[in-house]
Amino acid sequence: MTELATEETTLNLNSCIRIGSIISSNSHLDYVVEVLKDRDCDRPPELHEREFGQPVFIKKDVNGTKHAIMGVIYDSKLVDPDQGRTGPRLAQDDQERFTPGYIEERTTLVGVALLGTAVITDDQSITDPTHQMPRWTLEIDDTVYHCPDEMILSFHTVDEQLQLAYLDRLVEIAGDLGAEIAMTVIDRLRRLLAEDDPNQRVLNVVEQNVQWQAHEQRGMI
Amino acid sequence: MSGQPTIVGTVAGPGDDPNEFVFITPAEKPIKTGEFITYSVSVDGDDRSVFARVTNRELIRGLPEGYLADPAVSPDTVATTLGVPTEDTELYRLTATVIGYYNTEMTTFANPRQLPAPGTPLSIAPDRQLETILPNLGCETDNMDVTELDGVAHIGWLLNRSPKATNIHLPIEEFASTHLAILASTGSGKSFTASVLVEEMMRSSSRASLLVFDPHGEYTTLADMQGHEMFQGEDGYEPDVVYYDSERLRVRISELNLGDVMAVLDNPSNRMQERLSTGWRSMQQQDSRTWDINDLIDRMEQLYGEDDASVGALEWRLRRSIGENDLFHPEDNVPLGEIVGPGQCTVLQMDTLDRRNQQLITTVLLRRLYRERLNDVRERDTAIEYPIFSLFEEGHRFAPASGDALSLGIMRTITSEGRKFGFGLGIISQRPSKIDQDVLSQCGTQISMQIQNPNDQDAIEKSVEAAGEDIFRELPGLTPGQAIVSGDAMNTPALIQVRDRRTRHGAESLSVVEKWHDAYEQQQREPTHSETADFGGGESTGMQNLN
Repeated sequence: MTELATEETTLNLNSCIRIGSIISSNSHLDYVVEVLKDRDCDRPPELHEREFGQPVFIKKDVNGTKHAIMGVIYDSKLVDPDQGRTGPRLAQDDQERFTPGYIEERTTLVGVALLGTAVITDDQSITDPTHQMPRWTLEIDDTVYHCPDEMILSFHTVDEQLQLAYLDRLVEIAGDLGAEIAMTVIDRLRRLLAEDDPNQRVLNVVEQNVQWQAHEQRGMI
Repeated sequence: MSGQPTIVGTVAGPGDDPNEFVFITPAEKPIKTGEFITYSVSVDGDDRSVFARVTNRELIRGLPEGYLADPAVSPDTVATTLGVPTEDTELYRLTATVIGYYNTEMTTFANPRQLPAPGTPLSIAPDRQLETILPNLGCETDNMDVTELDGVAHIGWLLNRSPKATNIHLPIEEFASTHLAILASTGSGKSFTASVLVEEMMRSSSRASLLVFDPHGEYTTLADMQGHEMFQGEDGYEPDVVYYDSERLRVRISELNLGDVMAVLDNPSNRMQERLSTGWRSMQQQDSRTWDINDLIDRMEQLYGEDDASVGALEWRLRRSIGENDLFHPEDNVPLGEIVGPGQCTVLQMDTLDRRNQQLITTVLLRRLYRERLNDVRERDTAIEYPIFSLFEEGHRFAPASGDALSLGIMRTITSEGRKFGFGLGIISQRPSKIDQDVLSQCGTQISMQIQNPNDQDAIEKSVEAAGEDIFRELPGLTPGQAIVSGDAMNTPALIQVRDRRTRHGAESLSVVEKWHDAYEQQQREPTHSETADFGGGESTGMQNLN
């Protein structure tokens, strides 16, 4: 494994892996995404590319400007419509291919919490990141992309300082897993930063705070 | 003050004490504890400005302590990272104690007995108003130029305000008649403060008659007042600073009373005491005031016979304690007319006398001065027709709590009665706990400076009537030159910075290292001090001293 890629120009939002598409939402900031499977596309996301804590983005044209709506996978759910049923079902006669429903209809859903937005530049990288709540609503079937490391770092650097200003909102949306998602995001950022980066210490303090509060709330302290 | 006063906070509600209320200020209005604030309240139909003192300040909204986990990371950085606002976000909850509104008829503070309603705006009390009403100047308005008043001593300015913004002028009349105590540990500016007051009292507007009992010779620079234009009056007045060194301090033997003599003798037996008291009384009854020890012994021998063993023993003791002591003289006495006078400040330099003699001379002088003041008030012949004020440096030497000083009795008398006779005392000490409580509690005005010893802090609290005031919690934290002024001269205690002296300060600490350096260099330059080698052949010429 190489360390953080130094050539930032490698970031190209057009070549990002698709993770899935939006199928519903729980709130303005909380969306449900169906993960792409083998048969849905040429290159479905691998397990580690859609793991808990993976940042994602959705492209949106707003008033002529391309925006990346940033989010993070904070939850997952397995759906099997046949759960509880036994035995095969009959396929329709006129079907071209025999596709047993119980295989086809099993899906993995992931929850995506929105973090903020950034403007997509002409050279397919991002600029002007903001951790304010995105004002625009996403649509059903919007494609959710895997967020590459360079983009993660770029989104978290505001005015040359590391920022996680969405953290309180994220913890709120993630509910029971609030502390874990916060810690996973921090951990990911820590791996992206150089070891002697002064922001590492800031991350330590933030992580300590989150951990302490979680332990306190859960009655450990 | 011009324009509207700036609003600095808003009342939130009542506090724990009946006179306390709580108010909220944002971070950009920094209000220190001890600050005077004011609000308007309607008392009997009139709008009154009520004053209150801020006693406590606590943060009620600010960055969590968890943000301070790493000293290398500033909490602001953590806050920025988390998107938490950092600019002017702190909110402070302050507690204030109501002092009252200034009652122009009573010329002091009156408590409105009602706390400000929640939401009442609060502003910082204007400088000029505080100058008028904090000291007990008896002004009939709450806003005037107090420098125009006569008989005020500019001691310094309020510590919480910028330097020289709110000047405090003490009424000299008040502290000079009801006595003054300056209490502070060594090096925190006792004699400095005393000198500032001396300077003020010697100005043309006051022309005091001052007597300084100076056991350490710390007041040598007061002479600078002479010829200093600050102190000159339009009518040609100039303060007269007289130094009286111990060579000139004499006690006429006949001025001693029996108690004094008993105190200086070594353990006289009962029989000796009886012989002495009879003899002494007999000598006092005669017209001549210029007798000596020999006359006294002759008189006792007449009374008890020449062979009386007790008289013999007394003779030896009297000669040793009185006859051989240069302080006592059959005729010489310190002329009162020389040591006191209006516009005269006399410094009695007692640094070469031992403690017993310092107490003796003080006792006798005070007794004589008090007698003259008594005569003046009773309209009898007197040498001193004007009030006097005496300052006692190292006051615990003259009025010790242990009771072990001749001067204690007269000091007690003067502090309790002196007011009526125009005789004021100023006690300066670094050990308030070692001063006689009767004396200390009679000092109506107190200037308390930095004191760390808990016993001494207790002593101040016990003796200062305004004790219990939160302001005295500041005592250990004061730095040199800062003081709490309380008592008769003030309408409410205030924390002040003592002003600079106009004359030089003479009681600086010795610069020890520098002195060692100088002494070493001098020794190097003087080869005569080197020791010749002793080869055992003859007498050593060395510096050895086996004593």
